[in-house]
Amino acid sequence: MHEFSVTSQIVRSVLEEAEKRKAKKVTEVHLVIGKLTFLGLEQVRFAYEALTKGTIMEGSRLLIDEQEGVVKCNHCGYEGGFKYEDDPMYHVPVPTLKCPQCGSVVNIVAGKECTIKSIKMMI
Amino acid sequence: MAALKKKEVVKAEEGEIYDVELSEDLLKANQRLAEENRQFLHKNGVRAIDVMGAIGSGKTSLIEKLVQLLKVKHRIAVFKGDLTTTIDAELIARHGVETIAINTGKECHLDANLVKKALQKLNLNNVDLLLIENVGNLICPAEFPLGSDKRVVVVSVTEGPYMVVKHPFIFMEADVVAINKVDLADAMGVDVKQLEKDVKRINPRAIVVATNGRTGEGVGDVAKALEL
Repeated sequence: MHEFSVTSQIVRSVLEEAEKRKAKKVTEVHLVIGKLTFLGLEQVRFAYEALTKGTIMEGSRLLIDEQEGVVKCNHCGYEGGFKYEDDPMYHVPVPTLKCPQCGSVVNIVAGKECTIKSIKMMI
Repeated sequence: MAALKKKEVVKAEEGEIYDVELSEDLLKANQRLAEENRQFLHKNGVRAIDVMGAIGSGKTSLIEKLVQLLKVKHRIAVFKGDLTTTIDAELIARHGVETIAINTGKECHLDANLVKKALQKLNLNNVDLLLIENVGNLICPAEFPLGSDKRVVVVSVTEGPYMVVKHPFIFMEADVVAINKVDLADAMGVDVKQLEKDVKRINPRAIVVATNGRTGEGVGDVAKALEL
């Protein structure tokens, strides 16, 4: 939903970092985007291409790792993926905050990030 | 003892590729500000409630009824988020509580920074309860915590029977869910019990209350669920 504004922030941060190091060109940017964010990767790529045009980032490679949603149960110690419940009434499995192991309520510990992991640049 | 060797400095050569580890989380900036808001509010003895929900779900009506019910007990202020206009803010202000309209312009959600700016306009000595009405939207506000203590999601039966399962992530954020306009459930052919089951399935922690924002039905239970 906020791909354009978030990607502008990404591009701004990368350019600032590149300027600090007096880079001539940025060749690669590596992002981690959580699956629980509302960021569509295709839209991020589209915005990235548009926003880097005419900058030293133009033509750089954009790598995006997707981070799965991870939940943690304080009751039984489970840490891992969400439990999805299938219901014939709906056509898609519905995610739930119930622990897949013991049924207690879990906390989300990963999957909401949007991180610039690393940047490759030519100095 | 041998003299210490000069520290070696690794420098990138001309034209060399330099790999910078950054690990900067861009959504964290908002989360940090939200945490600052939360601490600022607590320091001033203010509890804050964020009310989210789709356009037309009845957030403003619910807040009006909450204000009417609670203004004898609490010193209330309201932040009212909208893209533009102060129409709703004026509706709420009629009840004699300090109301600040936050116009986001084009943004589809409030963020911690806008709330921080609004907080600077408020005399917190006269407030112990802050109700924040988010911009009407079931998607984006979930991603932007504001620094409130509790989050309410309002979903009305007029939005149809599948609203909860179609937007699971905002319901995961909710402490309290108000299923609103229950008087229209029959006319809409929507089963309130099923909506409640859907919420409980996605977020067993959430307290679900059936409400009617026009008559005030269920609003007392919302207040109770919020421990107000």
